[in-house]
This record gives sequence, structure tokens and C-alpha cells, in this order.
Amino acid sequence: MSIVENIAGLAKGMGVTLREMVQPTEVENYPDGPGPERGAHFQDRFRGAHVLQRDENGLEKCVACFLCAAACPANCIYIEAAENTAEVRISSSERYAKVYNIDYNRCIFCGYCVEACPTDAITHGHGFELASLDATTMIYRKEDMLAPLPEKKLPETAGATV
Amino acid sequence: MGTIYIDGKASEADPKQNLLHACLSLGLNLPYFCWHPAMGSVGACRQCAVKQFKDAQDTRGRLVMACMTPAAPDTRISLQDPEAVAFRAGIIEGMMLNHPHDCPVCDEGGECHLQDMTVMTGHDYRRSRFPKRTFHDQYLGPFVYHQMNRCIQCYRCVRFYRNYAGEDDLNAFGISNEVFFGREQDGVLKSEFAGNLVEVCPTGVFTDRTLRRHYTRKWDLRMAPSICGHCSLGCNTTMGERYGLLRRVVNRFNSEVNGYFLCDRGRYGYEFVNSEQRIRAAQINGAPTSVTEAKRRLSSLVAGGQQLIGIGSPRASIESNYALRRLVGKDRFFCGVSDGEWERTRAMVEILQAGPARSASLRDVELSDAVLILGEDVTNSAPRMALSVRQSLRQQSFETTQKLRVPLWMDDAVREIAQAKRSPLFIAAAGATRLDDVATATYKAAPEDIARLGFAVAHEIDAKAPEVPDLSGEMRELAATIATALTGAKHPLVIAGPSCRSISVIESAANVARALCDNGHSAALSLIAPACNSFGLALLGARPMSEALAAVQDHGDATLIVLENDLYRQLPAKLVDGYLAKAAHLIVLDQLGNGTTAKAELLLPAGTFAESDGTLVSNEGRAQRFFQVFVPEDGIKESWRWLGDQSWSSLDDVLSEIGTEIPRLASVIGAAPLSSFRIAGAKIPREPHRYSGRTSITANISVVEPKPPDDPDSSLSYSMEGASIQPPAALQPFFWAPGWNSIQAVNKFQSEIGEALRGGVPGVRLFETSTGGGYFDGIPNPFTRRTQEWLLLPIEHIFGSEELSAHASSIAELVTEPYLALNPADAAGFLAEGKPTVVEVAFGGLKQRVPLKVLAELPSGLAGIPAGLTALCGEELPAWCRIERAS
Repeated sequence: MSIVENIAGLAKGMGVTLREMVQPTEVENYPDGPGPERGAHFQDRFRGAHVLQRDENGLEKCVACFLCAAACPANCIYIEAAENTAEVRISSSERYAKVYNIDYNRCIFCGYCVEACPTDAITHGHGFELASLDATTMIYRKEDMLAPLPEKKLPETAGATV
Repeated sequence: MGTIYIDGKASEADPKQNLLHACLSLGLNLPYFCWHPAMGSVGACRQCAVKQFKDAQDTRGRLVMACMTPAAPDTRISLQDPEAVAFRAGIIEGMMLNHPHDCPVCDEGGECHLQDMTVMTGHDYRRSRFPKRTFHDQYLGPFVYHQMNRCIQCYRCVRFYRNYAGEDDLNAFGISNEVFFGREQDGVLKSEFAGNLVEVCPTGVFTDRTLRRHYTRKWDLRMAPSICGHCSLGCNTTMGERYGLLRRVVNRFNSEVNGYFLCDRGRYGYEFVNSEQRIRAAQINGAPTSVTEAKRRLSSLVAGGQQLIGIGSPRASIESNYALRRLVGKDRFFCGVSDGEWERTRAMVEILQAGPARSASLRDVELSDAVLILGEDVTNSAPRMALSVRQSLRQQSFETTQKLRVPLWMDDAVREIAQAKRSPLFIAAAGATRLDDVATATYKAAPEDIARLGFAVAHEIDAKAPEVPDLSGEMRELAATIATALTGAKHPLVIAGPSCRSISVIESAANVARALCDNGHSAALSLIAPACNSFGLALLGARPMSEALAAVQDHGDATLIVLENDLYRQLPAKLVDGYLAKAAHLIVLDQLGNGTTAKAELLLPAGTFAESDGTLVSNEGRAQRFFQVFVPEDGIKESWRWLGDQSWSSLDDVLSEIGTEIPRLASVIGAAPLSSFRIAGAKIPREPHRYSGRTSITANISVVEPKPPDDPDSSLSYSMEGASIQPPAALQPFFWAPGWNSIQAVNKFQSEIGEALRGGVPGVRLFETSTGGGYFDGIPNPFTRRTQEWLLLPIEHIFGSEELSAHASSIAELVTEPYLALNPADAAGFLAEGKPTVVEVAFGGLKQRVPLKVLAELPSGLAGIPAGLTALCGEELPAWCRIERAS
């Protein structure tokens, strides 16, 4: 019995090998490939440079709750909170992050900040070319990480299409 | 003590207490909301359910509320019983039905009792799918922020506000699931203790409005034990700092002093540290200069051969005053306050040291059962004491309670038994006071008459005390009533202070206390000091200011060094101008810019209590140490460090030198452990272990993580590294215990709940009673009013009268406009058809225009101006003034 089983196992394994032999070769031509990512290809869950998201109204999702900073094992997140006012409204809640810095010299891309975020404000983007010879350029400010403002859509007025 | 059995384990418990108190005292975790150690039990929230068994054979048991069940000997309970656990989980699930779950945007998040209790009961999943009820929030003034949706209806806020603090503008409205806690309409909370709602509320309904402006989570604060410097009571506080900005102040429990509560001046006065008017760099003739240059100039001026004259300060620490005294020599060290204030302060210290009555701590005030207040509006001059006086009013009703065998912690029943019965409280003051509503009798009179009443009371108690001549029948009757009440009490208390600017008032209070003690009553005396370290300065010893003038004049080229003192607030402006003009050089050390700093040749930035270490002596005579919270980036240093110039390497050196030089201050060094103190070889961390962003705080300047600053002066470290087990009480930087993130973690640090912290009561008492001395006999003549002239008296205000706190932005919103107050009959002549009138006050060659205010309770013949709020605040009062209607 065991001989039959062994042969079957061997055949199964070799089957994969032989099948792959005839598949077309995949080569990622990074950095000479096409598209904005120049050939690099990411899984959705790849943890790259952070992106601070905006909501559907273009307001920042971050409410300066300090949970990401608390979760960060490298202690590399710096936040200063400020209050939204009627005149200056940055986030949809009471507070917003006036300053939000991440020190990429120390960030270990563990994703704890993303996991801790109660408003899905901080996410991992796919930015990955972060190396630098000058450590001082590795401090990313809020402006460096913030998602661009959504393109303004004209408000749909009820009954306008009738 | 009796034995109770908790989950089969025998433990010691106080049978006078309830089971919740017993369980928490034993260090067990039992969730609760409505119970508060200072406010007792009402059994409203049903959260502390445990299973009680009849005897060892009983296996079924029944659910009881631990807070409403006495910890009688042989009580058998179970905390872990599945039914009790399920009941508690059900209760919290019910409470969370309407809670918005908005912890990330809630200021309470991270130090929320509701969060802690939810985690403790294990409730982690919301099953309800129905909408939550919502409320409109109210504007409650500059101190407290209202977010009613978060409420869990525990009723603690109204119980504190109405029953404990005795104010009535916060209430519970509505019924059933729609109970609203707030005011009838938007408006500033009337109570001077409203800030305590922030700590009393178990969740984020009431939060610190000043913290919102520079919000930081508790776990991100660097904290240190501090002493409030905004009045003389020496309440213990915890300061919190982040990114070089002082963020907030919370109460630090001290069983003998402030207990669980602070006043709003103490809680919100801290913002002056971040004020625009802070002196952050040294200045030479108004131009900013470097620390090195400032030091060079200081040493050249000091060594310049001119006569040095030092002016100390009642709001600077003992160490700073000593450093100046040492620099200039003790014969050229002056007290920095008016001769009148200095005389009164020294008299008070003398009375407390040499008198037979015990100097009362705030706890003593709370436990006294008959109180006589002479010449003070306590709520405005020493606010936290007013809260203690209010509690003292319950003492006599406790006798009935005990007779009926109702335990004291059963709050509703105890208050029901008391009804309107209050311990006697007599207030004699030169106007209305905030305690008048609960006083047995009040007496509104001029300082002379208040003193005469005091002397008369003393004579009524003890015939050996001097008799008051020409006593009116009415006053004699009042004095007899007061004397009967005081002698009938177990712990009578006399409170007096400097608000009337009258030494006779203080002496009359001393006589009453002496008369009581000499007749076998254990009386206590509480004398309120004018500033946070007035008594420390008096114990240190200094010469009166009138002699300073002569010293400056004798040496035409003297160098004047003024320590943390705006002379224009202490002395008449003309006199100060004289001093400053005659001195060849003026060196000023201070925290905020003021009239004196504006004239300084060399201005040195002095650290506030947040940026320095030092010791203050409270009105009780308790020397208490405050510790630096953070190291400022700029040139700010402790005054004693500026003046000591390298001769001391740490605070310990200063303290041991003070001990050798001034024997009566020798015990001050024991106010807190020395800087060499270590726990298992480690310092005590100022930062919680969850302190975040450590490596990134200065990353925008340098990517290298800086070494935390050294602290040579204390055994606290400026980082999160160190021994995180229980430090000595005086060094407790913050209260935190596993599972207890809110301020109620203090439970885990007390020897017994509500009692002293483990490791002793912080501070050392310097005043002990003595049997020597005799009665004062300087009885003043009765006050006679003059025609066309009024006796001008200062009126203390909790917000504004104290120099530093008035610069806090939230307090500044509540500071009253300057005014001149008159009795309605007196004011009638100046009022133009009832319209607001501006009058001109003139005395001693000075004139000041102020709006007229009619104060019904002000005795006829007196005029009042707010203390510390007008240009006249340095003038020696009382003074006879003329009033004219300004054109």
C-alpha cells in the first residue's frame, strides 16, 4: 500500500512541476515596466507607505484620537490635535490632526496603526520606494500622506432630470 | 474589624463599612458607578451585585448590591458566582444600550471609568439593534464641557453638585429612559467646584473644557505630583504635560488635605503657565539675551560691590526665598509684602505655633461639628475649605443616624434623617458670603465689630478672657448663642484670616480657640494665609518692607533683587516707584510680565510650579513638595537655581542647608523622599508605560532620539522607564493600576478606601500645639461710620483676586469687572435714576474711577472694591475714602 501511496504522491508533486514547465514565464520588469508603478505588482494587502484618507465630502477622516500613536510599537507617530470650528472644518468630528508625522526611519510597517484606527483614516498604501540616503527626509508630514481631494461632483438636484 | 468570607476566603473587613468598600479595600475588582467614597452609597446603578449566602451550608444564596449591604462579621459572599457575573454583565449591557460608543472622539477615552468597568464585566458585543436616545448638549461655562448622550444615569453629578457642593443649578430632568442632567437652560455653572464633575462623572458627559483646546490622552501625559499655588490651602494636584505645554491639572488624593476634590481656581488656574505673558527668556533692559549672558550679568551685579537688597515673596517656594536670603544676607532680606500683611502673617504663625488649639487640616474642618468663621468669605479666599465646611454641617445629624443604627455610608437614608438639621455655623463677615445659605446665623459688620464679636464669644466661653467694653445687647446675645453652640460641640472649629485686613479679627479668633481649649474642648483653629507660601516665608524670617525703604535710601547705589513678586500688587504704587527709582540696579525673577518686571534691568525667567521643584507651607502648617513636570526648552529655571549659581547641585543640597541654617525649618526636608530615593534601584517614571510617540516627538528636529533629561532634584525620571510599583505617596506621579485607567485607580493606592494613601500622608506638619501664651486684649473700639467718608475694604473673588490664576484664559472669562460696592442706602445718593453709575474713589491722594455696584449685604459705612482687580490693589486697606459721582 505504502509503495502505491508514495508513487501517487510523487506523481502529484511532479505533476505540478511539469505543468509549471509549460506555463509562460512571468518576469516583473520593475522599474522598467508599464504604468505608474513601473511594472511593480502588489497584493491588495501589501503594507506600503501610509495614506490618510478623506471621507466622501472631502473632509479628513482622522479625528485625532491618538489610538494609532498608542498602538505603534516603534513610537514613531506624532500627532497634535486641534478643534474644528464652524469657520475651519477639517474633519467631520470634534477634533482633527493639526500635525500628523510619521518617522519612516522607525516605522516597521506592522499595520497596528491601521488596525487601531476607529475611522479607517490611516491605511497602508502601496508606496514602497521610501529609501533615502538622508534620514531627515524620512519624516512624512500629514500633507505628504493625505489622499488628494476628490474631484468635485455637481450636486444632483431632485427633479432636475424630469 | 470582623471576618467576612469572599468566595470562600476569609478576609478582614470593617463592619462599619459596606461590602463594596470592603472588597475594594481588599484590592478586589468589583465594578461600580453610583457609589463614591466621599459620597456614600445610594444603590442606584445595580452594578456591584454579588451573591450573599446565609451561612456556610447555603449554596443557593441571593443577589445583593454590595454597596448597600453592611460588611457585618461572618458575611459570606461570592463575586465569582456565575449568576452574579451574569447579572453584572447584563446591567452594563443595559447601560451601554444608549451609550454612543464614541470613545475615539471622547475626551474621557483612556481614563474612563465606564470603559474600565465594561472591560471588567466582559461586555464586548452590542446585541441591541434599535436607535439610541439623544439629547441636546448645553453650554455650561468655560470649565466644563457637556455631552449628554454619553450619560449612563448614575446620578453622581447631581449628588455631588447638589448634596455635596450645595449648589442648585444642575439637576436631573425627565423620567424613565430620558433623564437629562444639566441646567434648566444654557449658562455658566454657579458652583465654584463644578470642575469636579469632570472627575465625578464616570464617563464623558462632563469633561475638562480647557483640556479640549490642547487635547492629550492621559496615557500620553508626562505627569508629576504638585501642590496648588493659587491659595494657601496647599491642595495636592497632578500636573500633566506634553510637547512642552502644560495640558491639565487633576486632583491628587490626600486624605488630610483635599481628599477627592479641588476648587475651580486650582483646577483651571494652571493655564497661566502657557500664557502669552510668560517670561521665557532672560532680558537685559528689555532686550532678550542668552542664559550665559544673563548669568554673567547677574554675577557681575551681585559681585559689583553695591549693597544687595533682596525682596522675597509669599508665592515663591521656601527654597527660592532661602536662596535669595543667603545671597543678600539675612539682614538685607525683606518680606515683599505690606507691613500690615506681614504683621498679620507673623501673628497667625505665632498663634498656631504657640497656641493650644490644633491647626486644622481640611479633614479636621470636615469633621468639626460647630464652626465659627470670623471675617472670611471662605469660598472666595480659600475655596476648597468652603466645601469642607459644608460637609462639617452634617456632623451633628450623624448622632441621630448612629442612634437609629443607620450606617453613615447609606447616603440617602442619612440625608433623610438629617432633613434640614445642620451643625451650627456662624459667619461674621464684612458682606455676603457663599456659605450664608447654610449658616445658623450671620453677622455683617465692619472688621472692628467682627473682632469685638470674636472677643465677646471668647469671654462668654471663658470669663478669664478679656471682656469687651460697651457691648450692645444684640451682640452679647449673639456671642452667647455662638458660645453655647461651640461649647456644646465635640470638635468646635474657628476659622479666620486676613481678608478683613485686621489683626484684631485674627487675635479674637485665637482667643475663642484658646478659651475653648482652656475649658477642655478639643478645639481647632484654621487661619487662612494670604498666599500659598506666606507661612513658609514667615517661618524663614524676613525684615518688614518699611525697613527696606530705609535700606535703599541709605545706600544710594543699592542693587535690588525682587523674587517672584509684583511689588505693585503688594505695596502702594508711589512707594514702589520710590524704591525702584532709588536703587541703582534692579534684578527681577518672575514668571509673568507685570509692573515690576517692566522696570527690571535684568529680568530672569523663573519656573512656575510646573517647571521647578520646591516646598510650600500651607495654612495648616504642612510643608509639601511640588515636583517639576517638564524641562522647558528655553532659559526658564527655578529661582533658587538662578540665585544659588552652582553652589548647589540639587534640591537636596538646598534643603539640607536650610535645615542646618534655620532649625525651625529642619523638618521640611522630610516633606518628600530625597532625590537619592530609588525603588529596586530605579527612579519613578513620570510617564505611563503606554506613553506614545517617544521617538518621534523631536524627529522634526533630529532623527536621533534624544536622551531623556536628567533630574538631579528628585527621584522621578522624565521617561516611562523605572519602577512602576507603588511609590511613596508624596512621589505619586499619577494614579493608574491594571484595569483601572480612570482617576478612580486611586482605590488601589489607599490603605483603606477613602483613607490615607499607602506610604503615608504626603507632607510634614510644622505646627504643633503648645500650652504657653495668654489671651490677646487688643479689643478695638466699635466701628463708627463717618458722613461723606466710607471705609474701603477689599472683597476677595475666587476668580481674579489671585495674581497668577487670573492669567488663565478660562478663569479670565469669569473675572469680574472692577467695581465699587456700597450698601443700597449709601449708594442711593450716587445713583442717577437707577442707571449704572461711575464713581470716583479718592483716598490718600489717589483717585480711581469705577462703576458703582449695589451690594445689599454690605454694612452701611463700608465700601468694597474687588481685591487684586484694580489699580488700587497695592494700597494698604482698609482706608477711609471719599466717593464722588464721576462726571
